[in-house]
Order: sequence, then structure tokens, then C-alpha cells
Amino acid sequence: MPSNRKLAPAVREINKVIIKPADCLTLPSGIKMYSVNDPSVDVLKIEFVFDAGARLQPSPYVASATNAMLVEGTTKYTSKELAENLDFFGAYLQNRSGSDDATLTLFCLPRHLESCLPFVVDILTNASYSEHELITQKENAIQRLMVNEGKTSYLARRSFYESVFGYNNPYGTPVYQQDINNISRETLVSYYENKYRAKLKYLMISGSVGSMVIDKLASALSGFTEQNQTKYVYATTQERAKKIAIHKDGSVQSTIRIGRKLFGRNHPDFRKMQLLNLVLGGYFGSRLMSNIREEKGLTYGIYSSLESYLYDGAFYIETDINNDLVELGVSEIYKELHLLSTQPIGEEELNTAKSYMLGSFLRSLDGVFEQANRQRILIDYGLSAEYYEEFIEIIKNTNSLSLLELANKYLKQEDLYEVVAGK
Amino acid sequence: MINYQRFFLTNGLTVIHHHDPNTKLCVLNILYKVGSKNELPNKTGFAHLFEHLMFGGSVNISDYDDELQKAGGENNAFTSNDITNYYLTLPQQNIETGFWLESDRMLSLDFSEQSLDVQRNVVIEEFKERYLNQPYGDIWLKLLPLAYKIHPYNWPTIGKEISHIESASLDDVKNFFFSFYAPNNAILVVAGNIDLDQTKALCQKWFAEIPSREVRKPDYEQEPKQTEARFLSIEADVPLHAIVKAYHMPARMENGYYESDLLSDMLGSGRSAILYQELVKNQRLFSELDCYITGDIDRGLFVIEGKLMKNITHEKANEEIEKTLRLALESIEEKDLQKVKNKTETTIRFNEVNVLNRAMKLAYCEMLGDIDLANSEADQYLKVNLQTLKAMGKDMLRAENCSTLFYISKNAK
Repeated sequence: MPSNRKLAPAVREINKVIIKPADCLTLPSGIKMYSVNDPSVDVLKIEFVFDAGARLQPSPYVASATNAMLVEGTTKYTSKELAENLDFFGAYLQNRSGSDDATLTLFCLPRHLESCLPFVVDILTNASYSEHELITQKENAIQRLMVNEGKTSYLARRSFYESVFGYNNPYGTPVYQQDINNISRETLVSYYENKYRAKLKYLMISGSVGSMVIDKLASALSGFTEQNQTKYVYATTQERAKKIAIHKDGSVQSTIRIGRKLFGRNHPDFRKMQLLNLVLGGYFGSRLMSNIREEKGLTYGIYSSLESYLYDGAFYIETDINNDLVELGVSEIYKELHLLSTQPIGEEELNTAKSYMLGSFLRSLDGVFEQANRQRILIDYGLSAEYYEEFIEIIKNTNSLSLLELANKYLKQEDLYEVVAGK
Repeated sequence: MINYQRFFLTNGLTVIHHHDPNTKLCVLNILYKVGSKNELPNKTGFAHLFEHLMFGGSVNISDYDDELQKAGGENNAFTSNDITNYYLTLPQQNIETGFWLESDRMLSLDFSEQSLDVQRNVVIEEFKERYLNQPYGDIWLKLLPLAYKIHPYNWPTIGKEISHIESASLDDVKNFFFSFYAPNNAILVVAGNIDLDQTKALCQKWFAEIPSREVRKPDYEQEPKQTEARFLSIEADVPLHAIVKAYHMPARMENGYYESDLLSDMLGSGRSAILYQELVKNQRLFSELDCYITGDIDRGLFVIEGKLMKNITHEKANEEIEKTLRLALESIEEKDLQKVKNKTETTIRFNEVNVLNRAMKLAYCEMLGDIDLANSEADQYLKVNLQTLKAMGKDMLRAENCSTLFYISKNAK
């Protein structure tokens, strides 16, 4: 029996974590095959990473469409045959196109790798981009977009990036139905030629990575050439409206998104900013959550976020609030931002945030797939192996005065864009 | 293989220990055997509202989240038809904080009027955000009463209507707590980098003194067999027509459960699935089409859900789904079955990578009354035989066993 239930058990802080770097094998072509091995699991995740994200596309939606169509047939296999074969071996193929990179990821049991690989290699060397499949793809994409356009959260998000980065900035380009209609087979084929065919930025293998796995992948990639990361070329200067209202008929709630263009992970203030963001809206105990959900019950959820891209970044606050309470919600958000840049964060609050952040960091390293994700960040951003150890030190040593300074520098109301979609 | 040891405290609490020395974390997962099916028809949404109140302060600890965060922990919870499940992860050295927090709220809440006021509002906002302000968000509010006439699965966990949540009183809250939140109605899983001796000592220290309670027995009848096809049309401001078909399926521990799960995969999971290939790719009647099961403890639903292409009527869509199902049940072969078995095996293995998933699975299987299922589930799927599956599918996928919702877009007319 506990002597006193009112007393919390002693808590010990996290001082050090041991992070094993990814193994790396460089193929004669220069392609790097990274791996994170955990022999205690019986699964494999293989990420093929391409320098093919939205920031490199010649016109809107090309990067997404090229990536989505990878699995829709090759000169050897129809879309259905590819799906049948990979499904038969219990494998899952996931294709994703992000702002910077695009990936094709194979999830399978190690014993089926050999059966699955020829199909993946075929996709990456002989994708056919059939006109027939493209029509289906476009029609379905438009239908999905129509459903998304019925959501206030989607409307707010799309408008936010377009406003903050500018329409012509590769990180801001939105997708409208017209963009999907405009996609032609020729554009996709040419993007595939330039960005995918027998090319690879790098490979990340995680799970049960034995030497057989490495050998099979190395031989599968023997005809591939290494792809270098394309540098950022665009900088936007145009002035845009800071307040945007999007009306949506029949909405009960509105989505509020407030934020700005900021910086990515390579910026010296990024890690301290992560802590400041946490205090503001990055966890359940944050100020926004405590005030707007837990004290006032205005919303089911409110959070703030730092988003990092290879050459840029964004900060935003997002919430869904009853239409008639939007003004109150917005003014409470600015009140919290003002407080953050006028008064230093109290010691106890800061310590709680730091403990939570370090605990979260520990969770983000738990398990072989999480470790591979952490390693991919180091690779993508060209960060040193000490990045994560430094992270712990930086978080521990950041005091409330330096956070006050950051808030003053980066969270000024006049720099923020405000989007309200709904009422 | 998920290793485990099970023991019981004298107050009736079931404890399962799962050791994993490879993680730096510890997990506490507490499953309470109460879900929305235990609610009264005029007080629905209560189990879920109660889940929110469990974070509003316990008898000795005013702020659960704050204390957990100070120890570097994170938590969440979910409510289903059948259970309410709470889980937290902590750095291994701080796991006692988890025992302190969870045992105190099992001991008693502080039943504050203020917390109830706020959480009522939060849940009402959740109701609006997820069920009213999303296109198609109200599908389950409409479909469940069509499929279930007497069983409490006829309302979703969020509740039938906002007014039920608005009228929840502090007396209701107390009553619910002492009827269902009891050591003898809970399963605690302690998993991760913690040994059995420490687990036993901490359980004894923090949970043993909590008294057993008289748990309210479920008071409802099973849904009678459906004997005629049911249809409902509703109109809403959404961009596309949609259709949802829900067939009654076997209960979780009944014969036919694994067959129906595999059948739903054959029909609707992945790009080689039968419904997707025939109706999305070949006939172009749908832009998307899914098939899945709810998999509840009592008889659940086998659901087919799709969005229609322009100019396709609901009648045509429905007819073609039914035709495709009939043909599929004639034509599926060993190879098709082997395919979904392989996919299921992959899914199970990937889920087991995460220690929290393993903890939840142990708790769920113990609740089902067969903890060994946590390790034998893959075999249950692999054992399924094609003839049994086909027979089971023919019996289940009959029009008389189906509730069909025509979700009509005002804008598509």
C-alpha cells in the first residue's frame, strides 16, 4: 500500500540515449543503401527514395500523379497483374509524394522479398503510364478532391500554404480540379524519365535486415544510377493578403489556421523553436489546449506545429471551432501569442514541457521503424550523427529568456497569416 | 511470439505482464469492460463522455496529464461498442508514475462539476467536428439504427444525439463509475522493459487496496435475425452520391468470424480486390469502394462502402455490387484465399513490432476469454478452408441480411 497517494513517485530525467547510426553500403553506382537492423522482428520495410517531390514539378499535381501512377502498370505487367502478384506474397506497396521527395515503400515478410523485388524493379524501370489508366486515375482524383473540398479543414490548409508561400512557390502550390484535368500522359512520362527510371536518391531498409537481404537488393539495383538532390531555386517576394475568409455553405464549425513561413530543421533556432512550439500548442498540456479546450471547452482540439522542408519551413496553429465562437477563438489565440512574447515561461511549466519533450524523443526512437525514420532525417538534411545527442543538451539548456526572445522574433502578430474557412 | 505471464489480485484485477528488454519504454494498458453497449437508450454517448472525464482529476491527483508529462509520459484512450481502453507509455525508469496515476483513478474520481461542464462541451464539439461538419460524417448515425432494431449497437459511441450528452449529470457520472470502473471489471497489461517481480510489487503496492465493486450486468437482448432487405435514402449537401451496405456477420468468438474477415479482404482490401477491380477499374461505377468488418464482440457488421461516379444511379450501383458478390462467391479459388491469408500474416507481424500494440492485443484477447489467441490468431486465419468460407459468405451476403443506405448528393442531381 502506498504511504501517501498525494505524493508523486520520484521521477528521473532522461540524460542520454544511445543512437546507433544506420549501416551504409555504397554500391559501385554511388547509390547508398542504408539499413537499420533488428533481428528480433520478422518483417521488412524498404523505402526507395527519389528526388521527385512537388517542389520539382513543372506544373501543379505532376509529382503526385507521376508517383500515384507508378503502380498502374508496366510494359510487362498490367496494373491488375502487379497488384495480384504483390498481394499474393502478402506485400504492401505504398507510394507517397511529398514536398521534397517521393517514395515507393515495400512492406513484406523477409521470406517473400525475393518474389516481390522483380515487380518493384519493373515498376521503377518500365512503368507504362497507359492513357486508359490515367483517365481512371484522374477521374478518381477529382472525386476525392471534391470530397476534400467539402471539408473546412482542407480548404483552410490549402489556402494557408498558398498564402504563406505564394502560389508560385513550390512549397505553396495548391491543387485545384483544373490542375488534375490538365495532366497529360506526356508530362508524366517525361517526369518519370527524369526522376524515376532506373534512378534512386537512396535506399533505406529497416526490420530484419540480414546479409541475404542486402545482397538481393544490391543486385536488384545494379542497373540504377545515383540521383543527386536538386537545389532550391525559388524565393518568393510577392505581397499577399494576411487575412483570408473562405465561406462554405452548411458548415457548423469553422477551421482556423494562423501561421507563417518560418524555417526548416537546418536553421540554428529550429530545435529551440520546437520547445517553444511545444509550450504553445505542441502537446496536451500546452497553453492553447489548456485554455481553449480544457478551460473553455471551445473545441475538441487545438494544436500548433512546426513543419520542416529541406529548404524552408512553416509554423501554424489550427483548430475547429463553432461558427459563432470563431472571434473569441481567434482573439484567445492572439492573447496566448502575446503572452508568450511578453512574459517569460514559468519554471515549472518549462520543466514539464522539457520532460515531456525528452520522453517523446525517447518514444520516437523506439522500435526499428522509428529508428529508421530518425536516420532518414539525418540523411535528408545532411545532419551530423551527433544531431540527436545535441538535441537533448539543447533542450535541457534552453531557458525561458531565450524562448521569450524567440517568441518576439518569430511569433509577431503582424507576420502571421490568418485563414478562416467555414462561416 | 508474444510472451506473457498472468496473475490476479485478490480484488479481482487481472494483470498480464509482457517483458521486452529491447525497448527503453514501459507501457500500461488498462481495458475496462464497458462500452457504448452498456449505455441506456436514453443516455447514449455516456461511455465515451466518461472516457474524457477520466482525465479530469482523480481523488488524490488533480491533473492526470500534467503529472504524466512531468515524467516524460504520453497517454490516450478510446471507447468502442464493447470496451474502453486507456494506455500510457513512460520512460522505463518512471513507470511507477503510471501505476500511481492509473490506480488513483480506479480508486475514485474527484467528480468535479467544472470538469463535467467542460468535457460536455468538448465532446459536443467532437460530435460536430467528426459527425456533422464532415461530408458523409453522419453515415453511422443513420446506418446503425437501420441495421440494429433492438441491440445497443444501434447507436455510435459518440451517442445518438447531442442532447444526451448535454443532459449528463454528475449523478450519472458517479453511478457509471461505480457500476463499471472496478478492479474486477478491468484488465491491466504491464509491458516493456520491466521484469515480473517489479510488476508484481508495483501492482500489489498501488492496485491491491482498491475494493472490488458490484459490476452492473449487461441488460440487453441479442439482435434477432434480419429477414428482409432494408433500405434508407437520405439527402445531404455532399459532392458525390455514396452507398453503404451492411450485412450482419458472426460475433467475434462465433464460427465464421475469421471467414468473414478474410472474405472482406478478398472483396475490398488492396488494389487486386474483387470489388475494386470489377466496379472501380472495369465498370467505372465507383471512384472508391471499400469492404471491411466492424468485428465487434456481439454480431457485428460486414460493410461495403463506395462513392459513385457521375451519372450512376444508386439502383444501378446496388444491383452491380450484389451481382459482383454473387459471381465472386462462385468463382473464388484457393489462390485467392491464399493471397488474403498471406496478407493477413504480414499485417499481424507488422502490428507486433510495436510494444504498445502487443500490450493492447493481450488485453483484448484476455477480455475475449482466450489470451492464447494473441499468439494463435494467425493460425486461426491460416486454417480457414475455401468451401466453408464460400458457404459462410453465401449465407451472410444475402439481400435479406442487408441494410442499404443510399446517400444522395443534392449537388449531383
